Amino acid sequence: MGHWGWLIAIYLFLGGLGAGAYLSSFAAEKGFLGKTTHLNRVGYYVSAPIVAFGALLLITDLGQGLRQPWLIIKMFLNPTSVMTWGIYILTAFIFVAFIKAYFVWKKRPAPEVISYIGAILALGTAAYTGMLLAVVEGVPFWNSYLMPVIFVVSALSTGLSLTSLLAHFFEKRQVHEAKVTQVHLWLVSAEIIAVAAFFALVYSGSQEVAKLSATRLLTGSLALPFWILFVLVGLVGPLTFYVQQSLSHKNTTPSLMKEQSAYHDVDTIQQAQPEAGGRGKSQNILLLCDVAVMVGGLTLRCVIVFAAFPVWSGYLI
Amino acid sequence: MSQNKRVILSRRSVIKRAVLLGTAVAIGLIPMKVLRAEEIVKGNVAPNAKKQIGFSYDEGKCIKCEQCVRICQETYKWEDETPWRKLLKNEKGDALSMSCNHCADPACAKVCPVVAYTKRASDGIVIHDSTRCVGCGYCLYACPYHAPHLSETLGCVSKCHFCYALQDAGSGPLCVGICPTQALTYGDMSELSKKGDLNYKGLPDPKITNPSMIAIPKQK
Repeated sequence: MGHWGWLIAIYLFLGGLGAGAYLSSFAAEKGFLGKTTHLNRVGYYVSAPIVAFGALLLITDLGQGLRQPWLIIKMFLNPTSVMTWGIYILTAFIFVAFIKAYFVWKKRPAPEVISYIGAILALGTAAYTGMLLAVVEGVPFWNSYLMPVIFVVSALSTGLSLTSLLAHFFEKRQVHEAKVTQVHLWLVSAEIIAVAAFFALVYSGSQEVAKLSATRLLTGSLALPFWILFVLVGLVGPLTFYVQQSLSHKNTTPSLMKEQSAYHDVDTIQQAQPEAGGRGKSQNILLLCDVAVMVGGLTLRCVIVFAAFPVWSGYLI
Repeated sequence: MSQNKRVILSRRSVIKRAVLLGTAVAIGLIPMKVLRAEEIVKGNVAPNAKKQIGFSYDEGKCIKCEQCVRICQETYKWEDETPWRKLLKNEKGDALSMSCNHCADPACAKVCPVVAYTKRASDGIVIHDSTRCVGCGYCLYACPYHAPHLSETLGCVSKCHFCYALQDAGSGPLCVGICPTQALTYGDMSELSKKGDLNYKGLPDPKITNPSMIAIPKQK
């Protein structure tokens, strides 16, 4: 059976993370994350390096990656292989995302077509990380149409988390936009639904081996990371906080809403409002949620890669 | 001045190229297309479109001497961890000598990004070229029969090639030649498939890859 382990899982995670970061900044730029935003740059900066680093990990994991690296050039050759497709998409995405980041860095408007191509390629990258596993008939647990869906939603969620986190630490201009929390609430909800649907599909299906893998996650040897790191830390925890945040936003008076969506300088944020302490606290929890979402995303990749049981055990029965 | 101009021009041309490349990729991007492409490949390799040779294993005749495994390892010098042929046994006394099944729809060839696998049109033998292999391990997951193995020491995959060089020279595969009871034989799949299939004692559904091998269980 296969030898894919940590490096592949991290590679799949980073592919999704980089793609999600690009799409977060893209969404912010297009105004989907609120009228004012500070998320419209960092995602672009980090996307290409993250995906490139992931690809580098993959290369070190190849049997010949460090021995005969020139063989890798030929990985463009087989158009029926999803891996070849992934290499097309990843290469193009890294290239386009670098160009886009260069424009953003120079504070020049990039041609719209570049931003959009980057966004399409980012979606492709995120989908590919799931597709790579989904087309393997030899591993029934992976062989599901929902696999790329889960990976894309998780990529968007982790990417938005990374972008928010980095924007908090590296952007001078800080914006607190309720819309971001709301979008993240939808993403996490969608992920929960997708994962639940995936398990429902596995258990209602006829593939006994896929059920074996699923059981390994739900009650077996991978149950601890699955339930604690992925479900509790990565999904339920952030979901609870996002729900609470959006409820409290709905309850606040319109004047406060307006004030909350206005921007502040970092140094004024602490002294300006009387409720700044409370805001600071919820801001910290928000950052913690971002970290939690990423931990969950990485855990998801790991447990799915590790749970792979082959369609045939290799023994006679 | 002129230098500046040149810089702008080159950047512009770089962007232009990027846009062209991006569009080319984006056109075929929708991941579902990959799946569809795969289905087309499956459709193209119809089981009886071309000549396909395969193995036949008769459990009733097998004395479990493992000569087939031994001659293969001695000749092709594979490591114990990367067996080309195995004699599978269970506690009930069942057995099966199996190598690569040179499938009509080889999943390994489909997923291999570097086209290390080729399926010969003349006889359907699936040959893996280790000098092309990057060692990604994708085929190990794709193959339902655990035929390809990745060597830790060599960093590349190897598997049974049906002794294609011997076959080209006019003789048969070594494992078949050495079998003292003719439990392991080979022949044209159009004939063999009339006698049986590989729906055998827990083995995966033959529909996945359409293996070119039949196994006949012993009469109880």
